[in-house]
Amino acid sequence: MTTLLTPPNDTERAEAPAPLSRPAKRKFGRWVLFVVMVAVAVVMLYPFWVMIVTSLKSEAQFLSGGGFSWLSWKSLSATIPIGQEVLSSTIVCSASILIILLVGLPAGFAFSKLRFRTSTAVFLVIVSAMMVPLQAILMPEFVNVTRLGLTGGYAGAVLVYAALGTPFSVFLFTTYFRGVPDELIEAGIVDGLGYVGVMWRLVVPMAVPAIATVTVLQFIQIWDDLLVGLLFIQNTSERPITVGLAVLAAGRTTSIPALMAGSLISALPAMLVYLGFQRYLVKGLTMGIDR
Amino acid sequence: MSLISAPVPRVRRMTLRRRRQLAGFLFALPAIALVVGFIGVPIGQAVYYSFTQWNGLTSKWIGTSTWTQAFHNSNLWTALQNNALLLLAVPFALGLPLCIAALLHQRVAGWRIFRSIYFLPTAISWVVLGLVAERFFAYQGTLNSIIHALGLSSVTTNMLGYESTALSALGITFVFTMIGTNTMLFLTGLATLDPTLEEAARIDGASRWQIFRSITLPHLSRFIQLAFVMTVIALFSALFSLIFVMTGGGPGYATTTMEFLIYQTGFNQGDFGTAALYGLILFVLTGIVGVVQLRLIGSNE
Amino acid sequence: MAEITFDAVTKIFGDDIRAVDELSLHVADGEFMVLVGPSGCGKTTALRMLAGLEDITAGTISIGGAVVNNVLPKDRDVAMVFQNYALYPHMSVERNIGFALKVRGDSKSEVKRKVGEAASILHLNDFLDRRPKALSGGQRQRVAMGRAIVRSPRAFLMDEPLSNLDAKLRVEMRLEIARIQRLLGVATVYVTHDQVEAMTMGDRVAVLRDGKLQQVDTPQDLYDRPANDFVAGFMGSPPMNLIRCHARAGDDRVKIIIGDQTVELPWSYTSSHDLPASGLDVVVGVRPEDVIITDATSPNTLKTRVERREALGAEILVHLSRVDAVADASTNALGARGDLSRPAVLVAKMGPRVKIDVGDVLSVQISPEHAHFFDATTGLTLRRR
Repeated sequence: MTTLLTPPNDTERAEAPAPLSRPAKRKFGRWVLFVVMVAVAVVMLYPFWVMIVTSLKSEAQFLSGGGFSWLSWKSLSATIPIGQEVLSSTIVCSASILIILLVGLPAGFAFSKLRFRTSTAVFLVIVSAMMVPLQAILMPEFVNVTRLGLTGGYAGAVLVYAALGTPFSVFLFTTYFRGVPDELIEAGIVDGLGYVGVMWRLVVPMAVPAIATVTVLQFIQIWDDLLVGLLFIQNTSERPITVGLAVLAAGRTTSIPALMAGSLISALPAMLVYLGFQRYLVKGLTMGIDR
Repeated sequence: MSLISAPVPRVRRMTLRRRRQLAGFLFALPAIALVVGFIGVPIGQAVYYSFTQWNGLTSKWIGTSTWTQAFHNSNLWTALQNNALLLLAVPFALGLPLCIAALLHQRVAGWRIFRSIYFLPTAISWVVLGLVAERFFAYQGTLNSIIHALGLSSVTTNMLGYESTALSALGITFVFTMIGTNTMLFLTGLATLDPTLEEAARIDGASRWQIFRSITLPHLSRFIQLAFVMTVIALFSALFSLIFVMTGGGPGYATTTMEFLIYQTGFNQGDFGTAALYGLILFVLTGIVGVVQLRLIGSNE
Repeated sequence: MAEITFDAVTKIFGDDIRAVDELSLHVADGEFMVLVGPSGCGKTTALRMLAGLEDITAGTISIGGAVVNNVLPKDRDVAMVFQNYALYPHMSVERNIGFALKVRGDSKSEVKRKVGEAASILHLNDFLDRRPKALSGGQRQRVAMGRAIVRSPRAFLMDEPLSNLDAKLRVEMRLEIARIQRLLGVATVYVTHDQVEAMTMGDRVAVLRDGKLQQVDTPQDLYDRPANDFVAGFMGSPPMNLIRCHARAGDDRVKIIIGDQTVELPWSYTSSHDLPASGLDVVVGVRPEDVIITDATSPNTLKTRVERREALGAEILVHLSRVDAVADASTNALGARGDLSRPAVLVAKMGPRVKIDVGDVLSVQISPEHAHFFDATTGLTLRRR
């Protein structure tokens, strides 16, 4: 019998079976893993494959089945007002993100460092607004914006996008700024800055990962959005690319290869933005979760 | 002590605390204004207008008849049913990314490239994904080509054309679109897990599965919670794009969910009042799901 | 003119937490004043009120003769060195140091010149381009100092700047800070919990406890003439032995009754102390170096037993318990080190080559001129000022 203070006898240990050769087992496992991951990658890349292949046909070729042609690409701008629509998307995205940052950064700073009496409650209200589905407020929103005369061009949509993106950005910035030591801010105050100075000259430069995260996620969301663009930008000349593609697709008269080509172009900016800011994304998300 | 003093320093009447609180309030004001104005107010309005007959320009109070009419409308029930059925896709939309994240976490050679690839479809608009999916499921589409190639010609489908299968096609596409974001989320979660915990467990003799169940999973519960909420919200709102492009709600009302119904009722039929009401219902549903999951995970802990 | 005056300053947090209680203190221009005390004694709060980072609940703080209660930090013209240095991570050393000047509006050439001067004093010239994360702890500390001195402020405020450094660096930096302060001649308020820093660096030291000022004096005076048993036990390492007992004064002697042993101190404490002949419960304080080990034949000894022995290289500390004593918790006034054997009552300091072992029975004497007497109830010294 063994107790805590007396070590067990060697003969009391059970006979352990000799394990399968460890290195070999592991290596085999790694290979299986690798194959699985490649398979998943193939599935993930499938849409791109489809888009590329389909766009490289002419309409006739597409309908009949086979073939290869640059025709759809060459006549793209004739089929879809692609340049204009991409421009619109860019304008809308940039303006919205700018507002989201300009509004979210001070708010994040306020909720994390400049607490006021009801700030926790207000913070919760703003963050819970993230859970409101757009469709729930769609009708009144639409009517309001129309009454304000903002549904022709970009302004209405930009404001709606900004309002929809603010809760998340406030949440992320608040969480991120909570990690900034109070001493840093006090040092700034003793050095002579007011709160505005502290925010713009000290805290914001330190928040680059959070800013990048918000920018990437909001960019993808706004660029790829359909509903707001569809309803709030009524001038067809100012239509964003996503809306343009959807409308043409729903009409079911446009050449599919052309649509695929347009889709590829539409997908490009968001992908580039994502790839460019990848590093910051993981860092920023971690901050957001760690609360 | 001399009476010659330095330039008179600015004397504030306010205490530091007050000053800080005022600054905080002012800094948060734009955000509050934006959210209240564009999200808070419309909710209130939606409540009001749900009691009216409203075509966007004029409203006529008709009390609860909008409500009673709506609940008698079979389309509403179909839409609700569709939303409910689609909830079945959520476990897949969470489980698959979990597995993939676990795979990535093993750090097999080139995992960073794989990670980028897996997230790439997220950057694509749901509209575009819908277009591609439509091609995939169509009668002359890829799915059938694969089936033909496998020699199972008898099983060819036209998933989007039949009521019974259209929703499934939608569900599958939805799961696909969510894989990217949820995988990234879970991967982040796994990255924040302290490896020494795992090592300690391994030294204590725990098997891979035991480690996963008692250490990894509890740590991830916060992330799973977040993913669940985000997935459901997407299901109840972002799905619109897929529906719009893939099926337009059809065939019939087979793929009309609440979010699509709202659009349809309001903009195609011009019945803003009922649409507002549907919006409210959707909001309440989302809220219920949110609360339920809080309770569920809460009780686990 | 940059003298600093605290006048009955009080800080109350929430409803009832008195972090600082009626603190009155005067720091002369150019003086190095150390605020010392255990955690939670209010020293940091007092410093922060001086800096303008905390509101003052009651009382006034004056700098240079003018009350600054409602003056913003930047207008008080004080510089602060924080415990964790609070260096701006996205700026180089040069920009960190020059930041306050830039905010103030100094010209670029002025800023560069002053930063250069500060960097020279602190030997930071080779690091001006680096970011804080590329610096060692000691270097960061010096940058924090540089940031403070470059402003030529009226006062330096330092909040435990050395507590994050390793022991050796701490000793080095202690000298550095003292040197720089003397060089610049600026009034300095320095907060620490380390009484060694207080002793070696301060012109005067203020001991705080639970928000109240216990005593403010030069280091040597604090050591030799503590005003109460707390200060007595706080200053000095190892701490002064404090023994609760009963004392009765005679003509030329004081009788001390410790447990069931009696020791007579043949010294006229009666003129310098308020010790009644009727006897009083007192706390007797004896520093370890003033506990003399003699042989059993000497008069007026306390019989003790060695419980523990700590060899420190330059000296040996022996922990002694009373012999023929029942383990009496009340004899040891300020915390007995529990042992599996008997609680130690006295710590004595001895030379490194004395042969003493655990279990030895020793006779000790209390050095007559170096005993301190404190009232057992109030803790105040019984010495007449």
